[in-house]
Amino acid sequence: MDTTSPHFAYVLASYVLSGAVLLGLLLWTVVRKRNLDAEARRVLKSGE
Amino acid sequence: MQTFEILANPNFFMRVARAILPWGWAATVITLGAGLYLALFTSPADYQQGETVRIMYVHVPAAWMALFIYVLMAVSSAVALIFRHPLADAAAKAAAPFGAAFCFLSLATGSIWGKPMWGTWWVWDARLTSMFVLMLLYLGYMAVWRAFDDPHRAAGLARVVALVGVINIPIVKFSVDWWNTLHQPASVVKMSGPAIDPAMLWPLLLMALGYTLLFICLHLMAIGNEITARKIRAARLRAVGAH
Amino acid sequence: MSGFGSLLWRDLVLMFRQGGSLGAAVSFMLAFVVMIPLAIGPDQATLSRLAPGLMWLALLLAVLLTTERMFQQDHEDGSLDLLATGRLPLELVCLAKAAAHWLSVSLPLSVVAAPVGILLNLDTPRILPVMLAMVTGSLALSLLASVAGAVTAGLRRGGLVVPLLVLPLYVPVLIFGIAASTGDMNPSGATPALLVLMAIALVSLVIQPWAAAAALRAYFR
Repeated sequence: MDTTSPHFAYVLASYVLSGAVLLGLLLWTVVRKRNLDAEARRVLKSGE
Repeated sequence: MQTFEILANPNFFMRVARAILPWGWAATVITLGAGLYLALFTSPADYQQGETVRIMYVHVPAAWMALFIYVLMAVSSAVALIFRHPLADAAAKAAAPFGAAFCFLSLATGSIWGKPMWGTWWVWDARLTSMFVLMLLYLGYMAVWRAFDDPHRAAGLARVVALVGVINIPIVKFSVDWWNTLHQPASVVKMSGPAIDPAMLWPLLLMALGYTLLFICLHLMAIGNEITARKIRAARLRAVGAH
Repeated sequence: MSGFGSLLWRDLVLMFRQGGSLGAAVSFMLAFVVMIPLAIGPDQATLSRLAPGLMWLALLLAVLLTTERMFQQDHEDGSLDLLATGRLPLELVCLAKAAAHWLSVSLPLSVVAAPVGILLNLDTPRILPVMLAMVTGSLALSLLASVAGAVTAGLRRGGLVVPLLVLPLYVPVLIFGIAASTGDMNPSGATPALLVLMAIALVSLVIQPWAAAAALRAYFR
């Protein structure tokens, strides 16, 4: 990897963007799972 | 008896998913790590494109995933329509946001690649236009799920939208290619040539495999989320005595 | 088949009573055409070059605007439930709806569009190809619109969902429609594009009854 290349910023930008979006997806899924699991515990307990 | 089957099936899925996921995440991290190392450090710069060729390793897998996930969605929708499998709708619904994200990534990284190579962020080139339409299909599919409160109704409509969309994709591809050859001669540098150097093929394949594994793990989790959400809804309905 | 005929007739009568007619099509086109020079400038050469494409966009817009009401009215007043339980298969009900839409909206518009295009400096020898292409393409447009109309039949605020669902389906129709309209500029002429346009209309004809009926069934479960 040649960091002095004139196009280095573009390469970096595409990797950072991909990483950010994929990490965002992961975070979104994990947070949603946590919220849903907590809610399920609450609802199923009160239902019994 | 039937209630048991419907209940047992998602629970079985949850158990299997819980068993697979740790291994899946480990494989994802290893593959993506190796792929990134090869892509960023050991693979050579292209004699024509220079360092920008490295964008290909995140761009092409994203485009593959975008197409693959739409086909997966359509197959799930067909399974839901024909066999009434309780998990198929959840699988299709859970896949859509990931497909849209990969589609967006392929468009965005392609655009970033286009700026130094073509001198412009966006060109109405055949592939870009087709991917753009695919993005619209994803957005339309998700909009249908969002638009209806009743999940059964939304599922029935979303199946139709996904299946009509999958018939539409090849027709769009064909017509956009035809339209493009009519309007501009193919003079732009294509991102992937037919003969690709093994030193570039390996990182590409590893990254593609990494993206696929990542999607599988995310998808398993998201299907689990859908099942949990369905359980919550069912419990709420039971609590108010409605059906 | 008589059920199909009477449903088609009922829909046509309803459409015409509610103001859908050749006169409405001409008025819509005229109103649209006035906007164009105001938006892109009155330069004759530019207008002439853009005229076929703009007429097609007017047609797309008109079909989009009428898509939502295709099944909604019948869904709201309950006649769709009657139709679904009637003897006529739901697939044919949907086909009749699409046929009524074509006859009352798309067909008048596509017949009127090319002559109105003269106001945009559309070359006179091009009027006939444009009209031919638009009449063929409008068939596909109405069929595809009815699928989106069926999906959003019970949606109160379907406004922005409809274009999102229907525009990706219109991409091939638009591409080959424009090619068939401006055929004299291509080396191979307009015929291949017109044939593809017919093929697209036929494919839509095969898919439409099945897809629209499957969407409506989701409302009856």
